[in-house]
Amino acid sequence: MSDDTLTATHLRSATDLPSPRRQTVAPHRRRAILEWIGLHSLAVAAALFFVLPFVFVSLTALMSDQQALTRHLWPQTWEWHNVVTVWNTPGFLTWWRNTLFYAGLGTALTLLSSIPVAYALARFRFKGRSLALMVVISTMMLPPQVVIVPMYLFWAQQLHLSGSLWPLIIPLAFGDPFSIFLLRQFLLTVPKEYIDAAKVDGCGDFRALLRVVVPMIKPAIAATALFEFFSCWNDYFGPQIYASENPAAWTLSYGLESFKSAHHTNWNLTMTATLLIMAPVIVVFFFAQRAFIEGVTLTGVKG
Amino acid sequence: MTATTISRRTRRRRDRLRNLAFLSPWLLGTGLFFLYPLAATVYFSFMKYDGFTAPVANGVKNWQYVFEAYPFFWPALRNTLWLVLVVVTLRVVFGLAVGLLIVKIKRGAGMFRTLFYAPYLAPPVAATMAFAFLLNPGTGPVNTILGRLGLPQPGWFNDPTWSKPALTLLALWGIGDLMIIFMASLLDVPREQYEAAELDGAGALRRFRFVTLPNISPILVFAAVTGVIQTMQYYTEPFVAGKVASGQIGGSGQQVEPGYPDKSTLTLPQLVYNLGFQRFDTGAACVVALVLFVLAMAFAALLMRRGSGFLAMED
Amino acid sequence: MHRFQRMATGATAAVVLAFVGSACTGSTTGGATDDPNAETTITFWHGWSAPSEVKAIQDTVDAFQAEFPNIHVNVVGNITDDKINQALRAGGSSAPDVVSSFTTDNVGQFCSSHVFADLTPFMEKSKVDPTATFPPALLGYTQYQGNQCSLPLLSDVYGLYYNKDDFKAAGISAPPKTLSEFKADAIKLTTPAGDSYSQLGFMPNYHGYESTVSHYAALWDPEYFTPDGKANVASDPALAAMFPWQKSMVDALGGYAKLEKYRSTFGDEFSSRNPFMTGQVSMAMDGEWRAGMIDDAGTNINYGVAPFPVPDDQAASYGKGYITGTIVGIASTSDKQNAAWEFVKFLTTDTQAVVNFANAIHNIPSTFAALKSPNVDQDPHFQSFIKVAQNPDSNTTPSSPNGGAYQLTLQDVGYGYESGKVTDLQSALQKAAEQIDTDIAQAQ
Repeated sequence: MSDDTLTATHLRSATDLPSPRRQTVAPHRRRAILEWIGLHSLAVAAALFFVLPFVFVSLTALMSDQQALTRHLWPQTWEWHNVVTVWNTPGFLTWWRNTLFYAGLGTALTLLSSIPVAYALARFRFKGRSLALMVVISTMMLPPQVVIVPMYLFWAQQLHLSGSLWPLIIPLAFGDPFSIFLLRQFLLTVPKEYIDAAKVDGCGDFRALLRVVVPMIKPAIAATALFEFFSCWNDYFGPQIYASENPAAWTLSYGLESFKSAHHTNWNLTMTATLLIMAPVIVVFFFAQRAFIEGVTLTGVKG
Repeated sequence: MTATTISRRTRRRRDRLRNLAFLSPWLLGTGLFFLYPLAATVYFSFMKYDGFTAPVANGVKNWQYVFEAYPFFWPALRNTLWLVLVVVTLRVVFGLAVGLLIVKIKRGAGMFRTLFYAPYLAPPVAATMAFAFLLNPGTGPVNTILGRLGLPQPGWFNDPTWSKPALTLLALWGIGDLMIIFMASLLDVPREQYEAAELDGAGALRRFRFVTLPNISPILVFAAVTGVIQTMQYYTEPFVAGKVASGQIGGSGQQVEPGYPDKSTLTLPQLVYNLGFQRFDTGAACVVALVLFVLAMAFAALLMRRGSGFLAMED
Repeated sequence: MHRFQRMATGATAAVVLAFVGSACTGSTTGGATDDPNAETTITFWHGWSAPSEVKAIQDTVDAFQAEFPNIHVNVVGNITDDKINQALRAGGSSAPDVVSSFTTDNVGQFCSSHVFADLTPFMEKSKVDPTATFPPALLGYTQYQGNQCSLPLLSDVYGLYYNKDDFKAAGISAPPKTLSEFKADAIKLTTPAGDSYSQLGFMPNYHGYESTVSHYAALWDPEYFTPDGKANVASDPALAAMFPWQKSMVDALGGYAKLEKYRSTFGDEFSSRNPFMTGQVSMAMDGEWRAGMIDDAGTNINYGVAPFPVPDDQAASYGKGYITGTIVGIASTSDKQNAAWEFVKFLTTDTQAVVNFANAIHNIPSTFAALKSPNVDQDPHFQSFIKVAQNPDSNTTPSSPNGGAYQLTLQDVGYGYESGKVTDLQSALQKAAEQIDTDIAQAQ
């Protein structure tokens, strides 16, 4: 299950990543050592559970087609050209481009549209504010399937945009509930005095937002961007509904299935493709996580 | 009229305009992409419409059909209940356990954390395809290893009694989100309370029961309720798993069997797809969508009440 | 706030109404007016994706364009049925003009919703006589209640694959012709080993890949529907005979649980780990494409092909089988229907085109002329399927307005009955009949 509604506290937790050095002086050294061993073996066991699937997928990705569905776990021949074959699969590069386009433009639009809304919800006092917030939280938790039928008819029959990713991208220009919620939580922590000071200097609300607030919540913006990017990258239902009827608009998630053709399943290639789709997300996170933690530490914002 | 009232009024008006300006994209979006389609969903739930010939009024027939005759509706609800009870519970327990482990561990915590978190980032389609392969009953690595150890080899995604446990494994694999949440909340527990408990002679279990649990209980509630809401949206994993395991992708002449095997992986969102985008029974699809809406909103309300502290509704 | 709410409600209601008022209805008459001789481009969607299949399609398209240089065909492959249905309803410039689909179950839906144009006026115009061109079973699955909204483009025929070495070892000289011979052979070919098998004669379970309810039932030639379109499954003698026969096979070969356990060791159906290709089973019900796959995989299994055995009381009909196939139709939203028809006519009725395409992708040709053509693959395995295709008793599953939903309902009966969860077959079939009628009423 992967949905980003849970991630509100990721940010917070990332700021105080465990300081593992909490060694207390153990009165019973032996017990401490035993505990150390026990804990670390548990951790290794858990690590196996989390890592082995990646290992088996990687091994299969390098097997020959004949071997992929045998009980041999280790490749008999290392078929490195599987990577090339997948890469050269007609459409694979298009799927990459489309996925990047969807995730990139979607993230940019989300940020542009959500920051002002989050700011207003966090800072302005007006009638109906808590109602607005409730609507944000409700829509954030709304399964996309609830409104998909009329939405599809709207995009397909009224605007003739089915067969493209626009029905998925355009709504992001109108604020994304999860991003609004996340940014608002962070904006609440920006001391009012900073904004007031900016206003005294003659800044309007919008300029105060741009000049003072945005630089202060950069880490939150980075995090929101990251989550939005991942949620677009991982999206399956959206492209299945809107893009599937036009192979030129497929994304990686959706295209992955086509390695299974009508009369044959190329499990080795499917697994190679699986890896090629997982890799960027994990690599991006690996680097972004560091930048993100640094950013959080630098600005000293804490949730 | 004095000058002050005028200026106050203009200021209020200016404020209102400013509020509107800041909120306008979202207001428009909510109207266009939430309120309008929601109204249309209600409207269509009383219509017969195949997406091609003009809709005609159909009374409550769609509602009757879904609740009384649609063969997938009750199995999907039962599956959802199963997933709520088993997957959500196990995820909370396992997430907490992994969180505790990460907090306690002294060497290589950073590495372990990254390893534990990585699966959560795997795109759901890719993760599901990988698991469908790993859990292939005949030749998958998992059953191969089980076989070598002389253990029983379940049919996983091919066996109605094992398909949901297989999905559970997949959900536990992607525990990264909960792990981080629990880790953060565990680190927030004041150390003095532990020390005080230790002084009182409380053992590890008692400390967990009387110090840790009360401190993290809001997070437990949050994790459970959001888990339920996620279960309401559970689509990609069961859909892809069923499709891959049935081996019927593009198979000639036959329709893919929804919820393969034996309806055991059906969930409500899949019904919306089945009715709306396979059968093109717009009316019945909208009925299921509304059921889904009511359920999701009920749990969202629960979260907003029980978890209001966490959600920080007011500043 | 109240005013805003009222405004919002009013506005949404207005939008909903505007939207419904302009709902796209498409043209459902066959009255195409475009000029097929004009320079034009049509879009053709198909579901093939393997490189060899894609190439075969392209070759056929090239042959068409050599004959009709003014009609350009934009070919889009790897399209699934759900997408076809969706795109045909959405219309628009990227929507296809000609569509082919593997899922014959969906023809009823395509025809009854009129997303496919009725081809009868086109055939009349071009003097194509469908009954003289296509075998009856194929016409059966390409029309719904007289609306011929699609035509067959190659077909898939089911028969018996048997392992000759296993037969020899068990002392069986020829493939079985009746179901009682079949059962006896299956038992002879089965070698249990503990709670599993070292060899299984036949995997009768409904999830044993192609051994589905509808494929078995074809051996008894069932009437799924009454002439007025009501479900006939509760009173049809064919189904009443098929379910107990399958159950008796399951029981005779070791029982449901044991067979299911063995089934879980099978590799993927469409891979070289298919249980027949690995020797795990000695006999299999499968389509003609399996022969091509066995040859392509380079598996050196010594196998034979024969029509599937028939019920003892219908021994005279030996030689028949279940037929399905790929279908092709014209989008009723297309404004180039005459040009599209030229292409469809070429694809489905040009003997040379049909034969070449069939040979290239190991499928059975779909016209009388092509079936008889000397250019058809003369491979003996392939030829036995050609004979099944020509058998007048070969049959198919009829189309229904909600696609294959009725077959899924019947399969459920099958799963329940084979596993022993359902014991009262008659009442299960009665319930299935009601379910089928309710589903169809909801779809109509």
